[in-house]
Amino acid sequence: MLNIENVSKAFGGVQALYRVHFQVREGHIQAVIGPNGAGKTTLFNVITGVYAPDEGRIVLDGTEIHGRPMHELVARGIARTFQNVELFPSMTVLENVLVGRHVRTRCGLVGAMARWPWVGREERQSREAAMDLLRFVGLEEAAHKMSGDLPFGWQRLVEIARALASEPRLLLLDEPAAGLNAVETEALADLIQQIRSRGITVVLVEHDMNLTMDISDRIVVLDRGRKLAEGTPREIQSDEAVMEAYLGRKGQGKR
Amino acid sequence: MTGKNRVWATAAFAGVIAVASVTVSNAYHQQLLTIIGIHTLLALGLNMLMGYAGQISLGHAAFYGLGAYGTGILTTHYGWSPWAAFPVVLTAAGWLAYVIGRPTLKLSGYYLAMGTLGLGIIAHVIFREWDSMTGGASGMVGIPPLQVGGTVLSLGRSGMILVWVTVLTAFFLCSRLVDSRIGRALRALGDSQGAAAACGIDTGRLKAVIFSFSAVLAALAGFLYAHLVGFISPSSFDFLMSIRMVTMVVIGGMASIWGSLFGASVITMLPEWLHVFSDYEMTVYGLVLMVVMIFLPQGLTRGMLDAVERVRREG
Repeated sequence: MLNIENVSKAFGGVQALYRVHFQVREGHIQAVIGPNGAGKTTLFNVITGVYAPDEGRIVLDGTEIHGRPMHELVARGIARTFQNVELFPSMTVLENVLVGRHVRTRCGLVGAMARWPWVGREERQSREAAMDLLRFVGLEEAAHKMSGDLPFGWQRLVEIARALASEPRLLLLDEPAAGLNAVETEALADLIQQIRSRGITVVLVEHDMNLTMDISDRIVVLDRGRKLAEGTPREIQSDEAVMEAYLGRKGQGKR
Repeated sequence: MTGKNRVWATAAFAGVIAVASVTVSNAYHQQLLTIIGIHTLLALGLNMLMGYAGQISLGHAAFYGLGAYGTGILTTHYGWSPWAAFPVVLTAAGWLAYVIGRPTLKLSGYYLAMGTLGLGIIAHVIFREWDSMTGGASGMVGIPPLQVGGTVLSLGRSGMILVWVTVLTAFFLCSRLVDSRIGRALRALGDSQGAAAACGIDTGRLKAVIFSFSAVLAALAGFLYAHLVGFISPSSFDFLMSIRMVTMVVIGGMASIWGSLFGASVITMLPEWLHVFSDYEMTVYGLVLMVVMIFLPQGLTRGMLDAVERVRREG
């Protein structure tokens, strides 16, 4: 459903991505892993329209989407979360998720002030959908708390609920396990699998090897801006180049 | 604010206005209240832009002036009825703000402040220098008053009622707006532009829309001012006026609809109270602003609510 075709991106003399090429299949959990500086974040930013690629294409269901602004991508069915969690602190948890409904609702400035009957219906439906999602991530109780008052792990779940509120077909998660403890990471793994079983394709850019090895259908390994390997978790674990370049180096770093 | 609270708050506010419109009979007080009402409209519109969407404008007097001069020119030079000028002037302000806002609001922080500052200066120069239309530095006189049926609405009881009914309506509509899909999008934008875009909000367009909305409210205030006072001059729509509008929003409380009323009242009445300091008036004025910002940085409304809350908890 999402094709990354020979994407390159350089910043000054640094080649952050070089001819990266892979396919995300519908209904899969696709992980992108790699050591720091491998180009994961750059790839994420190119897909979400923060940067335009120097060459190559990003194709969603046959349509080129690279260089398009993020709000357009959301309308096309792509949603994302942020590495450092970006909630709206001036709003309650429920309101945060309601903002996620933005592209699936249409009340405008005049409608908001006039409150036509359809606006009321739309608002009620949105609230129901948002509450359903909070129930899904297990935060129904926190709906009316200010989002900034929640512990970090919960904030991450609110952000995922907010992303799901736009009814995406493709969900991009930027290091969702960052800052979570082992128990929370396990719950997150569960949640991501449940999201997939709702028919949503997931792209997971991740540092945490345990999470990716456990739940991914396919993994792409980046190293210094290039694709080093691609395959199932089992294939990746037995790939010599990966062992040497990624796991090996990581192992050395620990010693 | 939930729907029920909103109706109660509006009803209570309407009650206060009704009582005041009967009991206030001193001409000076009526005038002062009229000006406070006009300033409240200005602060309310700017608060939507600054307090909720987090975008600053240092040139909002331009739209206030556009409303006043627009209707002044159409009614005195072209003999239009004020009620015919009304939709034209408001629409013009809205469109102008949208067209200017699309490129300008791509800027942020200091750059947006500079851009809107430029807008305010250009508008002021036009008001002052376009002698044949605006009367230049000496201003325009003889702007006809508004009439409803056979009743003339002028500076006094009738004007005061007109202004405050307008404020009441604007309050009601703005509080609905804040508590809606668009209001949430505005607050999202004010909190984090990146996350707002990730939620599918077209931030560039939304900023221009709310800039335009706040410009329409400013033009409405200018329209009322021109017809009630009957005389306008460029000094009422200069850079200082833009700054005064920003001060009303900040002193009253950002992202607070009632704060706009409060800020407009304080900033309008402060100079009146400070007359006793004669030569030192402006110094004391500045001092008061500094003290408020140091001790109640969230503005008077929020600051005082917090103080009451603290006293209640400790007492």
